[in-house]
Amino acid sequence: MRALLALLLLAAAMPASADDADDAALLLADKTATSAEQGKDWRVYVEAAARESRRQGPGLALHGARLSLDARLDTNFAPGWRAVFADRLDMSRMDGVSGNRDINTLKEAYLSWQLQPDRVADLGRINARSGVALGYNPTDYFRAGALRTVVSLDPASLRENRLGSAMLRGQTLWTSGSLTALYSPRLGHQPSDSTFSPDLGATNQRARWQLALSQKLSDALTPQWLLSGGAGQSPQLGLNVTALPNDATVAYLEWSGGRAASLLSQALMRPDDAAFRSRLSTGLTYTTPGNISLTAEYQYNGGGLNRSAWEALRRGPPPAYALYRSVLASLQDSPTRDNVFLYAVWQDALVKRLDLTAMVRYDVVDHSRLQWLEVRYHWSRVDLALQSQLNNGIPGSNFGALPERRLWQALLRYFF
Amino acid sequence: MNLERLIAGLGLVLAASVAAAAPSAQAILAASDAIRNPDKPFALTVALVEYRNSKQVDSSTLSVYSKADANSGQFRSLIRFVAPARDANKLMLKSGNDLWFFDPSSKASIRLSPQQRLLGQAANGDVVTVNLAKDYQAQLAAEESVLDGDRQNRHCYKLALAAVSADVTYHHIEMWLDATNSRPVKARFYTESGQLLKTAYYRRYQLQLGMERPTETVIIDGLDPNWVTVMRFGDYAWREVPEVWLQRDYLPRFKPE
Repeated sequence: MRALLALLLLAAAMPASADDADDAALLLADKTATSAEQGKDWRVYVEAAARESRRQGPGLALHGARLSLDARLDTNFAPGWRAVFADRLDMSRMDGVSGNRDINTLKEAYLSWQLQPDRVADLGRINARSGVALGYNPTDYFRAGALRTVVSLDPASLRENRLGSAMLRGQTLWTSGSLTALYSPRLGHQPSDSTFSPDLGATNQRARWQLALSQKLSDALTPQWLLSGGAGQSPQLGLNVTALPNDATVAYLEWSGGRAASLLSQALMRPDDAAFRSRLSTGLTYTTPGNISLTAEYQYNGGGLNRSAWEALRRGPPPAYALYRSVLASLQDSPTRDNVFLYAVWQDALVKRLDLTAMVRYDVVDHSRLQWLEVRYHWSRVDLALQSQLNNGIPGSNFGALPERRLWQALLRYFF
Repeated sequence: MNLERLIAGLGLVLAASVAAAAPSAQAILAASDAIRNPDKPFALTVALVEYRNSKQVDSSTLSVYSKADANSGQFRSLIRFVAPARDANKLMLKSGNDLWFFDPSSKASIRLSPQQRLLGQAANGDVVTVNLAKDYQAQLAAEESVLDGDRQNRHCYKLALAAVSADVTYHHIEMWLDATNSRPVKARFYTESGQLLKTAYYRRYQLQLGMERPTETVIIDGLDPNWVTVMRFGDYAWREVPEVWLQRDYLPRFKPE
């Protein structure tokens, strides 16, 4: 009887409780004074970072600090005309590193002219980025030589903090697709270390061109085809395609192929061993109901070394090994043929405004791996982040050869 | 008068006479859709404020350009994040289940799944710019008085909406519409298992783009009633949205006026 009475009371209380909740919510809305903020054409932030690292093998902890200023302006200054400017200055001081220096990265500086809604032309330094994959982008042909400095190995940071290439670009759009053509001339001979150099020698060492065609084939499928070439190389064909297997999953495939010399031959200036070589990056991003996005990606680099060739290079003369690693770091390509990339992002992790990001890069050829974790809390204008990186692997392996075994970095970013 | 116009005119007269006799649930729903969503391409600004346990925990501002698809009737939107500063000028394209996110800093176009919410409460947009009559079959469940968003008793039609296709976000919806003018008053959104996902109150009716429209939606989370989002709409304007803009490759080009 008592149980029945309790049930009846509960049943009677439930609608009242829902109504009370609605009433409380509406009361909050009544008191809400906030109105819409006005859009700005610019975004500027300053970032301070402190880091501690430990080298491979025994050794003392090394410390460093960095102050960065990052600015981006994107404005319509006349009907149909748009100006874009993006620049970053990194001032780093590290223990045990010779030649501490400041590096300015002129990321973009270009003018856009939109003659009609479906016809646009751009001229200047443009970050022309392609690719649907997350960790490795074979169709991102303009990534070579684009990094002046690396502040974080997070793929998002590598994409953002890089040089564009000087080019003339035109785009035409139609209802179900678009065609983009660009030409990037030779404007420099070699990269520069000078602090404020626009470094056209890094990005415009040779003339290049690219065509990109997107065409919607169905409501669910819009592939993008690319054809990219330039002085001293055979044209490379590229493909980007994405699909939705279900409401929670995005599948993607990025492929590039064409005749090319192996990366070893290119780096060490060995005799041309040109052959048809493919590069591939394919994966899935699954989002849980709790808004955790998990990505697993397989990466194949047909220009990289297989197990036996990689082992032979590692055991061979150190200068050849060092040159190969340095050229590939500049090209942003993998030294080995097969890699696996795992990436997880959890927004509002347990508490609002706290984001967790984790990344693992695993080299299938030499079993070395890089692990990276970031905890980031953000207020309306301030971000506070702690990053940790651990590199494991035998000496000379893809990630075991990185100078630091363990790295901690704390960041404070303020948006103006 | 040509034949097509004559047929169209006769059709309108017929539809009007049927409507006058007994407004069908589907017609009431369509009328309420027309109140929430302008019938031509438009732009507006959305200010979102989010509360947890009565404390403001987040706020953001979006600029939205929207246009209905001529075939499906569903809205396709280009969304620009205005605030907070860290997200300023990031863009999103929503065209049915085709969702793309673009960050101008990294030039990365990322495809999102419907379940993936990259930034805050923007997902609540689906409670606002959606033509329910296209995706749901409506039945008149009751005529009753309910408390509206201003805590006034309002005589309403209560409609029970059932999804007609599997690829919609909400399996079924209860919706209360003002019996005198079909204005949306309140809605409850459910999963297939009957779990309440959201409650929405439509309020602060103002004359915008030729019609009295709700300029505020209050959303209460179904699982956690202490999670409340207030969406306030302003800066309404008719804006041409060319078809060629509603694709991934235009995202880097999109810059609202």
